[in-house]
Amino acid sequence: MSERWRVVSAIIGKDLVAFTRDRFFLVMTGLGIVFYIGFFWLLPGSVDETIQLGVSGPMQSLALGDVSDSDGIAVVAYPSRSELVAAVETGTEVTAGLAFPDSFFDDVAAGRRASVEVIVGSGVPREIEQALTGMVGEVAFALVGSPLPVEQLDARQIVLGNDRAGDQIPLRERMKPLLAVLVLLVETLALSSLVAEEIRAKTVQAVLITPARLTDFLISKAILGTLLAFTQAVLIMAAIRALSPRPALLLTAALLGAVLVTGVGLIAGSSGGDFMQVLVLGMAFLIPLMIPTIAVLFPGTAAAWVQAIPSYPLTTTIVDVSSFDAGWADVAGRLGVLVGWCVVLLTIGIMALRRKVMTL
Amino acid sequence: MSAAIEAEDLVFSYGDLRAVDGVSFEVSPGEVLGFLGPNGAGKSTTIKILTGQLEPDSGHVRVLGHDMATERDLAQGRMGVCFEEKNLYQAMSARENLSFFAKLFGLTEVDIDGLLSRVGLRDRAGDRVSSYSKGMRQRLMMARALLNRPDVLFLDEPTDGLDPVSSKAIRAAIEAEAGRGVAVLLTTHDMHEADQLSDRLAFINDGKILVVDTPENLKLAHGQRSVRVRSRKGNEVEETVISLDESAGERLHSIVSSDILTIHTEEATLEDIFVKFAGRGLEE
Repeated sequence: MSERWRVVSAIIGKDLVAFTRDRFFLVMTGLGIVFYIGFFWLLPGSVDETIQLGVSGPMQSLALGDVSDSDGIAVVAYPSRSELVAAVETGTEVTAGLAFPDSFFDDVAAGRRASVEVIVGSGVPREIEQALTGMVGEVAFALVGSPLPVEQLDARQIVLGNDRAGDQIPLRERMKPLLAVLVLLVETLALSSLVAEEIRAKTVQAVLITPARLTDFLISKAILGTLLAFTQAVLIMAAIRALSPRPALLLTAALLGAVLVTGVGLIAGSSGGDFMQVLVLGMAFLIPLMIPTIAVLFPGTAAAWVQAIPSYPLTTTIVDVSSFDAGWADVAGRLGVLVGWCVVLLTIGIMALRRKVMTL
Repeated sequence: MSAAIEAEDLVFSYGDLRAVDGVSFEVSPGEVLGFLGPNGAGKSTTIKILTGQLEPDSGHVRVLGHDMATERDLAQGRMGVCFEEKNLYQAMSARENLSFFAKLFGLTEVDIDGLLSRVGLRDRAGDRVSSYSKGMRQRLMMARALLNRPDVLFLDEPTDGLDPVSSKAIRAAIEAEAGRGVAVLLTTHDMHEADQLSDRLAFINDGKILVVDTPENLKLAHGQRSVRVRSRKGNEVEETVISLDESAGERLHSIVSSDILTIHTEEATLEDIFVKFAGRGLEE
């Protein structure tokens, strides 16, 4: 073993002991891992796209046979309008309903204007309400055998990217990148605290009058931070099955993420402040870094400026690989940007720590 | 015998404040040089320069023949440093602290328990440092400084504010190390400690060395050679100062017949001599 590596490994070993002796971070890490994993598995693992539709009036005897066979609609018959309204209001059996008047058949057959109530709960999207209204017209035409005033268009739907219709990503799956990145970010606080304590207690001075060099000290902190963050991220990703379908690519992204947060941890730790100061400073970095992870939960909500946040390429890479089966070629550009951010933040972190140590 | 520590015209400034201003001295193997001066005099900054923690603005340092500007690694492997701050790893035990530093020094066979016994910490070797008293921490600092069996020791205020037991243990360790030929640079503002431990003393104030000499020479050169006698005559107590010149014997003889209460030498203290040089006291 070379002398340099002997020194670096000794400092890393000492820091790992210090990390395990810090009750706060040990408990936070343990609880965090258990919480993230438990939370993940408690979330629904599938998306139910079927609309539960209640029907009352004469149409229920027909049970809307053709309609109920169509994709995504399950029809439940109710004997009266009032029972249908009560059911929609409760929302447990059906989320919307169609109340046909008793004279519906006669009115339609006679060409009279029929009045059908579309009953929806307040939480039902506007699009569903419009679709149901349209459906009533279709049913009427089907009953009387009248053709539509125009030929049915031969429209072809073209979906750019992955068409997830009928195969929507469940919330649990959407949480994968959020949890992976979250555990990386939280680990920043542990590294910051270890570094700050070393500065505050001036133990680094004792280290640097041995054969250990400042470079050894800086390298050991960078390796320690990366090791802590990466190990926990991999642990979480394995536990929530987020290492498929491309484990090598996902592990690479996690490793780069660990380097990224290590840079942030070194910057925050260089302050040499007490626990509260480090916590406040750490959170000032972490909150902006969390924005992209939250934005991916709500597709289409990310503003352009979000893409400038260092954690954006990390988050989107994990999302695209784990949810859309993206490959190396698909995410190469983002990985390149991520590497760039890693270099920038790690360099700033090391320079900040170096400067602080030299001015002690 | 060549000097173990050689400082030549050292200068260091913190911004506009010149903390060390042309300091030069040497320490021989087996010698204890006491740096005596008040807080802020430049003692700790000088030690930081000598140990390679700071680079001087100008001047040269050689430790054990190694130029600290170019051969710092070689020198640091053979020096022991006891810092003013108790910079120990609080979450680790005494044994773990020493084991860690032994690894940094590349020491594979070191008697850590023996070292802890020497400073009276063998029984608490496995306890976390955070549970130690101030004196115990300082003794552990001393043990850490001795870990690599150094040839040069830099001790920055090693007994500052300690209980008598801890102070005694540390002083014993310093004397033992000097006895085996280690060059010791000891900074203190405790004149009794400086007097007791130092072979030579350097008075430092405002970053400058004012004088370097043995405690005995300083006291002889700058003190009064006289005795103060308190005696009782009838119901009254008289105090007489007798200069120790040719007539001292005759004058002492004249009062022997009276009821002598106390006789004290009027030897100058190091504090007095420091005030004479620096124009201020050690505690100011």
